[in-house]
Amino acid sequence: MRQGLFIILTSLLVFQGLAFSQKPDHFYNVDTEKKIRGTIQKVVMESRYKDSSPFLIVVMEEKKTKEMYNVEISPARFFTYDFHRGEDLEVTGSLYSKNGEKNIIARQIRFRGEIIMLRDKKGFPAWRGSGMQQKKKKKGKRY
Amino acid sequence: MRRAIVFILVLIAVSSPLAANMFSLSFFQNKTDNIFQNRYPEKDQLSSVNFYLDKDFSKVSVFTGGDYVYPYQNPNISYYTHDLGLDYLYPASQQTAWYFSLIGQGSLYRPDYEDFNYLSLNFLGAFKTYLSPTSIFKSSYILEYKHYRYSLFDFISHSLEASFDTYFQTKTTVRAELNWGYKYYLHSESSEEALIEDSQGHRGGMGDFIFIPRSADGGGAIQVCALKGLVAQGIGGRVGLNVSGMKQWTLSGDNPFSSVEEFYMVENPSYDRFSWHGYQIGSELTILIPWNIEFKMGYTKAEKEFPGIDSMDLEGNPLGVTRQDSREQFEARLEKNFPKFSLFFSYLFIDNRSNDPFFDWQGNFLAVGLEWNMFFGGKK
Repeated sequence: MRQGLFIILTSLLVFQGLAFSQKPDHFYNVDTEKKIRGTIQKVVMESRYKDSSPFLIVVMEEKKTKEMYNVEISPARFFTYDFHRGEDLEVTGSLYSKNGEKNIIARQIRFRGEIIMLRDKKGFPAWRGSGMQQKKKKKGKRY
Repeated sequence: MRRAIVFILVLIAVSSPLAANMFSLSFFQNKTDNIFQNRYPEKDQLSSVNFYLDKDFSKVSVFTGGDYVYPYQNPNISYYTHDLGLDYLYPASQQTAWYFSLIGQGSLYRPDYEDFNYLSLNFLGAFKTYLSPTSIFKSSYILEYKHYRYSLFDFISHSLEASFDTYFQTKTTVRAELNWGYKYYLHSESSEEALIEDSQGHRGGMGDFIFIPRSADGGGAIQVCALKGLVAQGIGGRVGLNVSGMKQWTLSGDNPFSSVEEFYMVENPSYDRFSWHGYQIGSELTILIPWNIEFKMGYTKAEKEFPGIDSMDLEGNPLGVTRQDSREQFEARLEKNFPKFSLFFSYLFIDNRSNDPFFDWQGNFLAVGLEWNMFFGGKK
């Protein structure tokens, strides 16, 4: 029992000690929020923010305008979602332009009939960790 | 130990506030009419509370979480599990990455199950690459060590997995997967000394150990291999359907216990993916219904044989055949995600038929839950 308590307290202490602030290059801007529907053209991993894990980026062609968007999904969702070229994707997120390319920071995506929340309404990240351990964290007690 | 705990409490109290990227708290209320999943059903309600903390540090993520489960009718098997881990993702190229994680976990049960208390260490190494924009290859290796208070259950296991999937323009995904696993019980040679008295013979039920260890005939190791396949079809933007199948073989060894049991929401070390061979087929329908509510409905049929486990009659006399179960299960699930919280509802029905009459059972399982998320750190 004491050993268990010791482990719990140590875990909390680790998180206490690891606090630090981040200075991202760009922010989620709720005023530029947009919903687009399109088709996945390419899936890549890229560094987007200093001192952060690489981001999973989906290059997507909007169905109506045929314009291309780089969609920032989240760090390392690379392992949790298997996106393929040709699959449909609906993205709600904050739009910004950089080096002549249209980018969108995804807040919510609809993929294969599922809604995936990536950020809250103000744009605060809602993802968990780097990815694969999430598979063990089932939402709810399934059998 | 007491001084160390006091020291840590003081440090927590005086240091800065938690600065995790994410903190989530969830509460689930579960109800079942057969918690021990056997011929003699016992109703129970179980409450579970779960928390999860997560923080990214450059390319390393650290996470911790706890889960407390309390069965109202059987409080002596309530338990708490806690895990602490870190993971690291290494992108080898834009379409290829390695992933590594190390997780320590501990579990504390109330007196009736305290022999199941354990500490475990789990290492995962995984690889994923896009062979083409529509085809993915993945492989992984898992090493797990688990040390129980009752050392007979102690084991080390190795698992290897490789999968390939491809997507067709007809909105069809096809996936094939191959698994291999090896589990070694570290103390099987001492099982004769570790016999546990069972007041009700084989037909134990709640609170009575029925895991009477056998002398390990084939050593303390089990080796299994499995082949899985899945076909998924998207229908419009709101409907998905998949059909899957799995065949598992036991390559060597058998179960080192006299019985294998599963309990609802309470881990039982006699049962895991190494304890059976057979097949499983299933189908799942996912629909995004109005108000963006996810609805899932699934059916699974499984035929399992438990090598080394003899079927017995209700008095505990061997029937001279290996235990075989035939199981059908139906599940329905609703999930609604809001920006800061999610709501869940699920229902599961299981019909388990067995040549061991004790494991001829049916059960209904109902769960409702709420998950609340809070976000910390920078707004990227």
